[in-house]
Amino acid sequence: MKIKLTSVYVDDQNKALRFYTEVLGFTKKTDFSQGPFRWLTVVSPEEPDGAELQLALNNNPVAKTYQQAIFQQGQPAAMFSTDDVKGDYQRAKARGAEFTMPPTDVTGSTIAMLKDTCGNLIQLTQLARYSR
Amino acid sequence: MTDHEQYTPGPPSGAQIRKDGEKWTLILVRELRHSPEKVWQALTDPAHLREWAPFEADGSLGTIGTAVKLTTVGAPSPHVTETRVRRADAPKALEYNWGDHDMRWELEDLGGGTRLTLWTNIGRRFIAMGAAGWHICFDVLDHLLSGIPIGRIVGPEAMKFGWKRLNAEYAKQFGMETLGWPSQKGRTN
Repeated sequence: MKIKLTSVYVDDQNKALRFYTEVLGFTKKTDFSQGPFRWLTVVSPEEPDGAELQLALNNNPVAKTYQQAIFQQGQPAAMFSTDDVKGDYQRAKARGAEFTMPPTDVTGSTIAMLKDTCGNLIQLTQLARYSR
Repeated sequence: MTDHEQYTPGPPSGAQIRKDGEKWTLILVRELRHSPEKVWQALTDPAHLREWAPFEADGSLGTIGTAVKLTTVGAPSPHVTETRVRRADAPKALEYNWGDHDMRWELEDLGGGTRLTLWTNIGRRFIAMGAAGWHICFDVLDHLLSGIPIGRIVGPEAMKFGWKRLNAEYAKQFGMETLGWPSQKGRTN
């Protein structure tokens, strides 16, 4: 068993695809439809065969309530790992991203939080590397 | 189910696309050797839909105003949408929506047969996929109406029965690039 896929609810899949590819720099991996259902995933170009992120359409009331509630609590819907949170913060900002938290040192890591334009907060995490 | 195993779809036929602004509509026409009443039943009765349609309905689609849950069959994660029947003029016209797809069906009496037309909006990107999927569904519907049901062929089943070829052929007919089945590299099961 492996962790190969995780998902976030988004309120607009086209808008989400733009944000996750053009702002965050991921690449589209899979995109097909079955009737009104659209299976859409992106992947990190650093790990093309790594875990995929499914951008799932938020088209049912339970999912909407959940998404809005965790957003209002300030909880991220997904967290991504980076080796350079400050650089990613500058790059994403230059591409128009709206951050709710600039890079901030917390226990064990430096984190930043931004809006994905589709109803979610996304956390960027750089794990601290302590020298012995 | 030998007839099911031996099924192969024919070449593309009866499909057109239309563009109004940013909205793309797929129009599918199929002539059936069965009465509009019989075709109407197959389009509205959940037990009949189960034999050919790409979704399960939890109630009849044949009464205006009825709320019906539609479950996409074989979707890679559970997908249920609720619709309200907007128009149900038996056995001539039926309208409802499947998720964000408007579904407008028209049944024209050909004197012993029916010309069935479906108008449905699908994004440009997926319009050939939709045409290929409905083509197979209509073939299965034809068998069902003829009294020799071969069993629903949707989702993963359609992949085994010529859907990819049809998808490529419809894309060519519509003058669009073929969107190949996504790469499954790295997938181990």
